[in-house]
Amino acid sequence: MLGFTSKQLIGVGIFLFMIFIGVPLIIGATGRWDFYFTLTSVALLAIASAGVWLTFYIGRINIGQGAFALIGAYVSAILVVKAGWSFWISLPAAGLFAAIVAILIGLPILRLRGVYFAMITLVLTQVVTLTALALPITNGAKGISNIPLPSGISLFGIPILPDFAGMENTKLAFYYTACVIMILTYAALYRLVNSRLGHLCRSMQQNEELASSIGVNISYIRIVIFAISSFFGGLGGAMFGSIAQSVYPSSFQVADSVNFMLNCFLGGLGYVFGPMLGTLVLYFGWDLLFEFGKYQMLIYSTVLILIIRFLPNGLLSIRIGKGGDK
Amino acid sequence: MEQILANGVYLGSQYAMIALGLTLIFALMNVLNFAHGQMYVIGGFVTYTFYGQWGVPFVLALVMSCVTLAILGALIERFLFAPVIKGSAREESTMLLAAGIAFFLDAVILLVFGEKQRGVPKIVDGVFNYDFRLIMPYDRILICVLAILSIVAFIGLMQYTKTGRALRALAQDRTAAQLMGVNVDRYSMIGFALGAMLAGLVGGLLVTITGVNLGMGGPTSIKAFMMVMIGGAGVISGAIWGGIILGFMEAIGLAVLYQYGDITYLLIFVSLMIFLAIRPQGLMGKPWG
Amino acid sequence: MQRRSLMKAALTAATLTAFGATAAFAENPVLKIGFVGVTSGPAAAWGISNQRSMEARAAWINETGGYTIGDTTYDIEIVSFDDQKDPKRAIAGMEKMAQEGIHYVVGPNVDDGAAAVRPVAESNGIMYFPYAFPKSLYQAPASNAVLGMVANYQSGPAIYKYLMENEGVKTVAFIAANESDPLSQRDGGVEAATALGMEVVSDNVTYQVDTTDFTPVLTPVMRAQPDLLVLSGVSPANAPQLIRSARELGFQGLISTETAQDAGVLAEGAGDLANGFISVGGASTPELASPMMIEFVQRYTDMFGEYNDESNTKVYALEYILETLKVDPSAITDVDAFQTTMDTFEAPNPYMNGDAKLRYVGMTSFGQRRQVAVPLVVNVFQDGAFETLFVAEVD
Repeated sequence: MLGFTSKQLIGVGIFLFMIFIGVPLIIGATGRWDFYFTLTSVALLAIASAGVWLTFYIGRINIGQGAFALIGAYVSAILVVKAGWSFWISLPAAGLFAAIVAILIGLPILRLRGVYFAMITLVLTQVVTLTALALPITNGAKGISNIPLPSGISLFGIPILPDFAGMENTKLAFYYTACVIMILTYAALYRLVNSRLGHLCRSMQQNEELASSIGVNISYIRIVIFAISSFFGGLGGAMFGSIAQSVYPSSFQVADSVNFMLNCFLGGLGYVFGPMLGTLVLYFGWDLLFEFGKYQMLIYSTVLILIIRFLPNGLLSIRIGKGGDK
Repeated sequence: MEQILANGVYLGSQYAMIALGLTLIFALMNVLNFAHGQMYVIGGFVTYTFYGQWGVPFVLALVMSCVTLAILGALIERFLFAPVIKGSAREESTMLLAAGIAFFLDAVILLVFGEKQRGVPKIVDGVFNYDFRLIMPYDRILICVLAILSIVAFIGLMQYTKTGRALRALAQDRTAAQLMGVNVDRYSMIGFALGAMLAGLVGGLLVTITGVNLGMGGPTSIKAFMMVMIGGAGVISGAIWGGIILGFMEAIGLAVLYQYGDITYLLIFVSLMIFLAIRPQGLMGKPWG
Repeated sequence: MQRRSLMKAALTAATLTAFGATAAFAENPVLKIGFVGVTSGPAAAWGISNQRSMEARAAWINETGGYTIGDTTYDIEIVSFDDQKDPKRAIAGMEKMAQEGIHYVVGPNVDDGAAAVRPVAESNGIMYFPYAFPKSLYQAPASNAVLGMVANYQSGPAIYKYLMENEGVKTVAFIAANESDPLSQRDGGVEAATALGMEVVSDNVTYQVDTTDFTPVLTPVMRAQPDLLVLSGVSPANAPQLIRSARELGFQGLISTETAQDAGVLAEGAGDLANGFISVGGASTPELASPMMIEFVQRYTDMFGEYNDESNTKVYALEYILETLKVDPSAITDVDAFQTTMDTFEAPNPYMNGDAKLRYVGMTSFGQRRQVAVPLVVNVFQDGAFETLFVAEVD
């Protein structure tokens, strides 16, 4: 583990221990089995949010992740239901398909910046929803339902992944799967940010013209980053489709795209793990306020406003303590 | 043909008014106000309460909508946006604040005004019918004229008054405006209040035609974003053109493409994306807004 | 006055929710019934009318001493979850219900939510009563969903047939919002109309749900000059505007929909122009409403400040759950017993005059009894109120 301080390693160790052993223990002790699904959702949404965070990293506000999540969900569903693929192969295929779409769309639109890029990605979300409604392969308005659960995989007769359909408790299985994918995503993200590509991205975030003038191939980097970002979106969406066993044009819509972006803001744009924390607080927070009935929304939004009012650089800025003065 | 033009003018004028307030706020503070649609809805509900419920004259109810929203806008700017802009490292963080305010206003609207669709009695009865080639109810014509008058009044305000000049200076260059002796904090607040007031005014006007319900907020914001992008972000004339163009696109698109049914809007959105990809700064915006 | 009563209603509801779980009830054991649906955001009206019907009915039962199932008298508690019309949240809501030990849930309100909660409901032994029409939810192998209202493919043919015979309607045009539920309903409607031998003159015009001006949307439909204009799956918010635009464009024919509407909303939004508008409701008209229905409306109004006519159909799901449990008390925790009882269950319909029955239907549409028999009351709007056009049965 080169380049990591022991403090970082301990932090990661505690984190891994918490999600794989701590959470199941706590849930087992308190009997709050419903939290498994909530936390699974958090993990999956955090994967998609990680992609949005990455586009922020090259200085683009991305309100289009819902589009790629929906594309991912549909690709996986179509491959599983109509082509009979195993879910586990359709999952990376969904991510890759989303990435290819991102490259094709990214070529023209990544030239845009600021609110213009934000807007065009917002429109993209609507375009994908409407396309899903209009195409025959997506089953139009009727959506795709009755998607089978992920089947098992065995290599040379040795079972690698169990068959979800034969399981007593698919909740736990989905929870672990989502967590593993989330950790892989954030490990990749961390690696990327601390690589040469990451440094180039930071230079682009500061000033694209300057970066370009010193020989950075900015259009290439933009496309690569946007493709990776959308890959994450496709993964998250495909997993969700598998849990719900159904996909509709409204499975991911503009509100989801906006939420992915808010997750990044709330966690803090300057921190790799910001989107993960932001997703946890925004999504889990809503569930925790369940007891307040019709005042749920009021309290939720008030808390949100207060957080951003006093921590404008995101939740993680407390730790650094540089919020407040620019 | 006449009908398409008339529909376009009517839609365009109301869209332009919605876009104006949004673009003003964006020009002054670089804030993409996600809560704009909710402000529009509140404007509609205030007029509904005064005119529809309590029988106050329509014009007075409209004034009440404007006043309510202006005060609301000023408070939001003073106590939320201004401090957040000062304290945040990247100014996009205001998007989270704006979204939070949008959720908050949605919750308040639901608790205070309820979940039902509301409407008010017609202000004028009757339909203008020219040989079945051009059909337009009189109240629509009236609202359209009022909207155009408001836009003209707004442009006059921006062009010929001290406040308007200060706001324009602020939009062009904040620092320079400050150096020239413009009270930046005060005029930011006035500008935000003015933007919110426009949302309230158009909400009040349209409640007579379309009615109002709490669900209209979010979609209205998104539509307003699109118009602002077509015309160019932060440019007043751009917002007006953007509104008119989107209005005509819908009117013409629906008339020409109706037999393609489900994909009319898909085509509108795709052409919008292509337009923006070709001309990223919109019709008359500064590039890289 | 209006606003004050709304505030009062809000306060009442707040007190109810705040104390609902803890204090208010006497010694009776509590039977929890769930609701998962949309009670905030654009579609809030659908879920809220649902939730309020259940809360009003539960409060009424509790006030009069509780509900006796077998040897035990229960107080009824409604546990509501707002899914924000997001299928992902709906799953979380259903998990929440399982967590609370609830086996009977009303909702979700839309197609995608109803499909998404199915795995959770079936693995946790929850019967749920969605307000969504896709047949795959109710046909085997699906087992735990019970359609909570009359589907458009059932009411549509009845309405069209009536209008063909009594009004001489020959041509029909459909218009729908560009969303899953309305588009599916439109396709179902077109199929039914064609099967009856009507001529469908326009069926591909759609509108965005956020449309504020329906004139350009309706203009091409009007050119086809249909005898009947069907607003497929129209939301209560859009209905008055569509009616108004169509009439202002000079449309003389009939307008109908297969969803429930609110008379107050129609009167405010379209006024006299809505006269003659045909929609589907429960026992909403004076000659059909039983004294119990009238008392329900009164209690609902006292509790929330204002009645919603959509509740005429939404009052039934809770009644069905409780009545069925009464027949077989073991079903309180055993969903299989409930499903067995469903096949033979029959009880008088307390909300409707005459000898109408509560029973489970759906053999024709789904091949198994997975639908509540809500009376198919077809209304026509006249001067601010609904009048009964005709009453039919679903099998």
